[in-house]
Amino acid sequence: MEADGRPSWDNPAQFILACVSYAVGLGNMWRFPYLCQMHGGGGFLIPYLIMLVLEGIPLFYMELAVGQKMRLGSIGAWSAISPYLGGLGIASVVTSLYLCIYYNVVIAWAFWYLFHSFQAELPWAACPANNNLTEQQECEVSSPTQYFWYRETLNITSSMEEGGGLHRGQTVCLLMAWVVVYLCIVKGVKSTGKVVYFTTAFPYVVLLIYFIRGVSLHGAANGIKYMFMPKMKELASPTTWINAATQIFFSLGLGFGSLVAFASYNQPHNDVQRQAVAVSLINSGTSIFASVVTFSIYGFKATFNYESCLDRARINLLNSFDIEEDAITNDNISSWVTQLNSTYPDRFASLSQQLESCNLESELDTAAEGAGLAFIVYSEAIKNMPVSQLWSVLYFSMLLMLGVGSMLGNVMAITTPLHDSKFLSRRLSSEALNGLVCIFCLLAGLGFTARSGNYWFTIFNDYACTFSLLFIVFVEMVGICCIYGLKRFEKDIEDMIGHRPNWYWKIVWAGVGPIILIGLFLFYMITYITGETSTYQAWDKDLGKSLPKERPPYAQVCIALLPLSSILCIPFCAFYEYVQRKKKREPEERVVSCPLTPREAC
Amino acid sequence: MLTDLFLTLCISTALTAVQAENRCSVDAKNGYKVRLSIKTALGNKAYPWDDSEMFLFRATLAFAMRVYTKSDQYNVSSVHVCDETPRVSFWFVVSNDTELVSAEDVEKAVRISRNRINSAFMLTDQTLEFVNIPPTLVAPVQPGTPPWLIVFGVVISAVCAGVVMLLLSSFVQKRRKKGILEDENEEERCEKQNGATHEVQEGSDDFNQIFVEASSSTKL
Repeated sequence: MEADGRPSWDNPAQFILACVSYAVGLGNMWRFPYLCQMHGGGGFLIPYLIMLVLEGIPLFYMELAVGQKMRLGSIGAWSAISPYLGGLGIASVVTSLYLCIYYNVVIAWAFWYLFHSFQAELPWAACPANNNLTEQQECEVSSPTQYFWYRETLNITSSMEEGGGLHRGQTVCLLMAWVVVYLCIVKGVKSTGKVVYFTTAFPYVVLLIYFIRGVSLHGAANGIKYMFMPKMKELASPTTWINAATQIFFSLGLGFGSLVAFASYNQPHNDVQRQAVAVSLINSGTSIFASVVTFSIYGFKATFNYESCLDRARINLLNSFDIEEDAITNDNISSWVTQLNSTYPDRFASLSQQLESCNLESELDTAAEGAGLAFIVYSEAIKNMPVSQLWSVLYFSMLLMLGVGSMLGNVMAITTPLHDSKFLSRRLSSEALNGLVCIFCLLAGLGFTARSGNYWFTIFNDYACTFSLLFIVFVEMVGICCIYGLKRFEKDIEDMIGHRPNWYWKIVWAGVGPIILIGLFLFYMITYITGETSTYQAWDKDLGKSLPKERPPYAQVCIALLPLSSILCIPFCAFYEYVQRKKKREPEERVVSCPLTPREAC
Repeated sequence: MLTDLFLTLCISTALTAVQAENRCSVDAKNGYKVRLSIKTALGNKAYPWDDSEMFLFRATLAFAMRVYTKSDQYNVSSVHVCDETPRVSFWFVVSNDTELVSAEDVEKAVRISRNRINSAFMLTDQTLEFVNIPPTLVAPVQPGTPPWLIVFGVVISAVCAGVVMLLLSSFVQKRRKKGILEDENEEERCEKQNGATHEVQEGSDDFNQIFVEASSSTKL
């Protein structure tokens, strides 16, 4: 407890672990490897690390410094920076609210898969038999893992307009996810501080185990070679740099107010500069490590699929030409193909449609990101590993811990400003307040457990936070540098850690950072306006794949409203504050009163 | 005359036998192609395919027909095999005395006894294929409660227990704090007597504690 009664972390290690747990999340696992693959493998590291230095670390430091100095949640902290910036805190809270509502659904999915891993045979390993004791049509056309994801986990409808009912299994898993989050935050920093030891350490342990398992899998080397082979010409494309900047920005979780909230519980003279650099580097290092693991798994899966393809072709040849069983092997299949083609050209011609060409490169090229990577591609790789139940449990527990760790930060971004508000903290205890926030988010999130919920999830995932955060952080930088004053901020930091920030920090805060953010913001605006938001991928159960469909107009409206509802808080509050100030003419008179105590009255 | 009769009988049975055999051909209407992948299934322990194995196959197929029709009119001679290839695949037809058994009946018979046929050769549905007869999938074992619900129940009870314990402990702590404050308030209440009295507690210094407490709580 501090002198001003504010709760605090038991020791600085808890703060660092909380920041690491928050920053290292699902994006490190499922977005970074995809970007690496799309933008030239090892070469992507160059723009990634440059953006980390130019944008990531300084912004991270700035938010932590603000929180530690002001010792308030985002609303209070930014109001203290300047009364006109109170809206900034509110925008952060609104964005965090949207994130909390949809992010926990991913944890619900992880729970669902985790619970289903405790079976003798993994349910996504083979197609289930239907009433005729033959295979399900949808499963045959796609694959067992896709069937399990789209049909059994989501029970997805074929378009956004069809609502479908609530999926009961998903609903109870979402309830479970919120109860777990509540358990971790119920006592505020005191309970969170203890939980982060586990939520930070466990994913690293599992990643290490997976790394060892992954690199020893057959075919893993193909994947790792593919990843690390840099394709330098990708660096010339601006998309690569934009994606690198975006990834750094979102991976560190800037703009939500969580960092401000975490730092507000620090001791006043905590060395936040060193911690900021450490956490940012740990976050990026984890991304790179996770992508090595992911690529070894990719390599295994691609090699497995390639060899299965060769095997199918081999069996096809054996059966059509009735050749002795062990005459054709995977190695001499190509020589057999040429030989058979020359000896029986017409029979071979009729067969050639069925003979698929097997190509290892094209298997490795199939990139996936997001939920598709985590839940379809990985589970497909896992089911082919020996003792697959163990690997499945480990993997989905890791996803769970990564998700819960990030959720803790997001929920604290909402609860900290609420606790700071005297109005609420006088009427409700902190446990009740935390509980109300969780219940509200649970009820709001039930929509994502409906059968068409995944389509809405994609909307929220892509649009709820992206614009708003870029704008929020941009206003933060402008607020600090122009409205509050960079000199004043430097002095605050000197008060806290004993020395002023050097020229590198100042250049980024005042110049490079805002330029990069404006650039990103403009890029996303242009992408939005040129109409890339109008279609979405809908699952067609007869064809067994996703096809693009037009979004209905109410979905487009929703896409526009989500960022607007948080961005507009900033000008509204500034305007409101301006009007309030004009009204207040006289300063408040301070009334000093000394009520008589019962003892003095005697 | 008897020899004539005997001769015609012999010739007619031979003819029908030949006819039945002739009806076994590639793409026979009431026949099925069978494909065995012994080396894939058994690897090193693969047995060579020879006439005795073929005899076993014909016998098991006759067994399947007997089980299906619940009669004993089928024998090894009822099953005719042709077009053997090095792949180990061949066509077969089943004859019932003079005519061939229809394809549907053969299919049903095979599906019912599929397990027994497979195990006679230590093979599976995938390695002993009857082309165009789909494998009978094992009926899914439906447990009373789906297993995931059990795990879910255990985890959510543990988590709820944790939440309740934490809430109770903070409630008890607050109660205790309130209790201490109330005690302190009681002790500060002044009593209208000569001087303020206060019970001397054990181990305290020999002076009146109440003045010590009063000074720390006096609002100035």
